Amino acid sequence: MSTSSLIDRYEAYRTRRFLENEKLSSRWLPGWRTQHRRRILAGSVITLLAAMFVVAIASYFTKWAVIAWLPVTLIFLPTWTCLQIVTGRQSDAPRHALDEREIAERNSARSIGMSVAQTLLLIPVFALIFGATLDSLDHRALAYSMGGFALAALLFSGCLPAVLLAWTRPDDDPEE
Amino acid sequence: MSPVRRGETLPIYNRIRVLRTERGMSRAQLAELIGVNPQTVGALERGDHYPSLDLAFRICDVFGLPVEAVFSRTEFTPLSTELYRPRKEA
Repeated sequence: MSTSSLIDRYEAYRTRRFLENEKLSSRWLPGWRTQHRRRILAGSVITLLAAMFVVAIASYFTKWAVIAWLPVTLIFLPTWTCLQIVTGRQSDAPRHALDEREIAERNSARSIGMSVAQTLLLIPVFALIFGATLDSLDHRALAYSMGGFALAALLFSGCLPAVLLAWTRPDDDPEE
Repeated sequence: MSPVRRGETLPIYNRIRVLRTERGMSRAQLAELIGVNPQTVGALERGDHYPSLDLAFRICDVFGLPVEAVFSRTEFTPLSTELYRPRKEA
């Protein structure tokens, strides 16, 4: 079996699964599909991700800050799931499930997410490289803190396309 | 949104809203016929999205009209004016 036919079959399977799930979830949370409500969810996701960055940095100074990962993650997961439901998972939808306008919007949002990921991940990378040369630093705490920071950076940039799409998509036009 | 990479973005006007309402079609119905999301029909009607050639042909097929009757580089005048003018001149 050639690579292209394997990819095509996988894409077809992914699209089929996506459309089945989308059919099921398209009626969920109808009151949260307005732009105003979507922006509330998008803002909440960004706030929770910002809290993860704060927890990651704070964990260098006090080990008790690590406990804060648990409530932040527990609030983040349902909030993120709700955001994905109300945006129809456009940010990670397979290509064949979207039309040309949606693909263009998704690609633009993903491109921004990718740039943000590259920039944010440089922070823990350089902190670990240069931190390793400084004896005055607590290397174990630094490794833990920057590991958390890298995780938060990956989550932030991974969620950013969905956040951008939720924020910018206008409300459905009323039919005349 | 224009597919053009660089340079000045030239406008593409369309008559999709007029033709759709003339045929008593909802956005969802037209979207179903041309294989896009109903929001994309709204974006096309507002001029927020310029269609690909493939999508433009699909739209023209639904209305049974040539491309130049649906899309134009210059703004369209009302259909009623265009219909009435030749009769008056004839």
